[in-house]
Amino acid sequence: MHITPPLLLAGALCALGLGLAAPARAAVAGRADAGSDVYDSECAECHSLHAGKNKKGPSLAAVTGRTAGTVPGYKYSDALAHSGIVWTPEKLAAYIAAPKKVVPGGKMKYDDGGDLTAQDIADLLAFLKGAH
Amino acid sequence: MTRTQGTAGSPARARAGFARRLCAWLLPLAALYATDALAVPSYSRQTGQECAACHIGAFGPALTPYGMRFKLGGYTDSDGQGRKVPVSAMAVGSVTHTATADDSGKLTHADLAEASVFLAGRITDHIGSFTQVTYDGLEHKTALDLLDVRYATTRQIKGKDTILGVSINNAPTLTDPLNTLPAWGYPYVSAPRGAGAGGAEFTGIGGLEGTVIGASGYALWNDHLYTELGTYRSLSPSALSRVGVGRDASPGILHGSEYWRVAWLGDARHAGWSVGMFGNNGSLESREDGTRTARFHDLGVDGSYQFLGTREHVFAVNGSYLRERDSVAHDSVAEGKLNASYHFRNTWGGSVGLFNATSDSGANENRGYILQADWTPWGKEDSWQAPWANLRLGVQYVGFDKVRDETGAREKASDSNSLHFFVWTAF
Repeated sequence: MHITPPLLLAGALCALGLGLAAPARAAVAGRADAGSDVYDSECAECHSLHAGKNKKGPSLAAVTGRTAGTVPGYKYSDALAHSGIVWTPEKLAAYIAAPKKVVPGGKMKYDDGGDLTAQDIADLLAFLKGAH
Repeated sequence: MTRTQGTAGSPARARAGFARRLCAWLLPLAALYATDALAVPSYSRQTGQECAACHIGAFGPALTPYGMRFKLGGYTDSDGQGRKVPVSAMAVGSVTHTATADDSGKLTHADLAEASVFLAGRITDHIGSFTQVTYDGLEHKTALDLLDVRYATTRQIKGKDTILGVSINNAPTLTDPLNTLPAWGYPYVSAPRGAGAGGAEFTGIGGLEGTVIGASGYALWNDHLYTELGTYRSLSPSALSRVGVGRDASPGILHGSEYWRVAWLGDARHAGWSVGMFGNNGSLESREDGTRTARFHDLGVDGSYQFLGTREHVFAVNGSYLRERDSVAHDSVAEGKLNASYHFRNTWGGSVGLFNATSDSGANENRGYILQADWTPWGKEDSWQAPWANLRLGVQYVGFDKVRDETGAREKASDSNSLHFFVWTAF
């Protein structure tokens, strides 16, 4: 089989693409220090890390492992309050990326959460895991 | 914020008038909330957000994209934890040093520049207010300064969230969410004495503030496309007298101007930007003989960018160009403004502004710059007495390098320079 330069180029691009895509599909290790910056940039306007301090959104203190809709004093949407969701890291990652898909009828406005990379979300989750 | 001319009474009499007007306007509304706590609420108290969420530098009025959405949402967002009394207060103390002495022969003056009370916040689920009554410390008079009462709701248009709203207000551009138009443009505080911050004097935008009443409808589609249409007409002399502005404050009879605004907004949370156009057209008639005294056609463009990042380093740049053609006076006035600011941890701030006002006739032209440094210790989530205590200390220098008087004759520009120290507090 004669391999032409265009085929070689296409093959190289595919290999490069697969190589680049692989880390995104694999589990990404989160860095809490980098996640602090993601939190400050993306979340802090609407969420506090202080327990009992609710803003437009509920406090994110000890959010990992919490049952959705249970922060005292916060007025949740019916959809989230009755979702039965437990905020595992996987569920949080999906919710941050597309809140309206995970909880249709919810009121969290973060429509372009997809702007965050997998690394950003992993970093953020690592940071939130330590937020008590 | 309004600087209107009128007959000044004694300070004591003015303060008594202030108290009477305040009670007359605010007590009926406060009574609606009589079951709430004995506190002085604000937008921050209503929402649970710190000032820095809505304001660049943790102090008003320059809005972040988050603050813009709060405003367009009719000031009604809340933390869902009960109603709050929508009342706040503000005071500005100034020490101004001017290059030339005023009638008193002094170069330096210390003043209570203004003190205001706000009806500011959610009234119902869909109606909110930003209404400011101000005591002018130099004029010794109290007046309805700014009025913006809104109804807003969110609907789906072409599958995208769309904020739809209506505002009753008393100044063209007061309703605008951006930090570029005259009502909310830089500088956000200026010396109460001397030549002030420079720039052009327009009739249709800026010149009508506080002397008209208007209604506008607006929409923000998909957090990006902002459009607004409104109309304004002059208040009668008796109405102007009742709100404290003074029956002679009106520039004339305005039967109805056409105000419009369109802008494209971007918000990536770590940064925000905008580009837009705006205008206001109308004509003024003399109250004495009904002759037409002005027919103004205002057209402007503006743009802004703000980098918010993690909120440790915040940069903002705003620019605008506004041209007003008066087909009665056969003259055109234009103003270009460009300003930039930097804030470190929403606490330490520095800003610079350039202004250039020109006219076809050469009258009232001026050009110069503004330098400001300020310190805002509170207004963050963990600040002392948040959200009650808010303070900004600052120093501002305004330098002119071109000044022409109303005849177009050139004046010594540096005579208009001023140095202004201010203490600005809100609670």
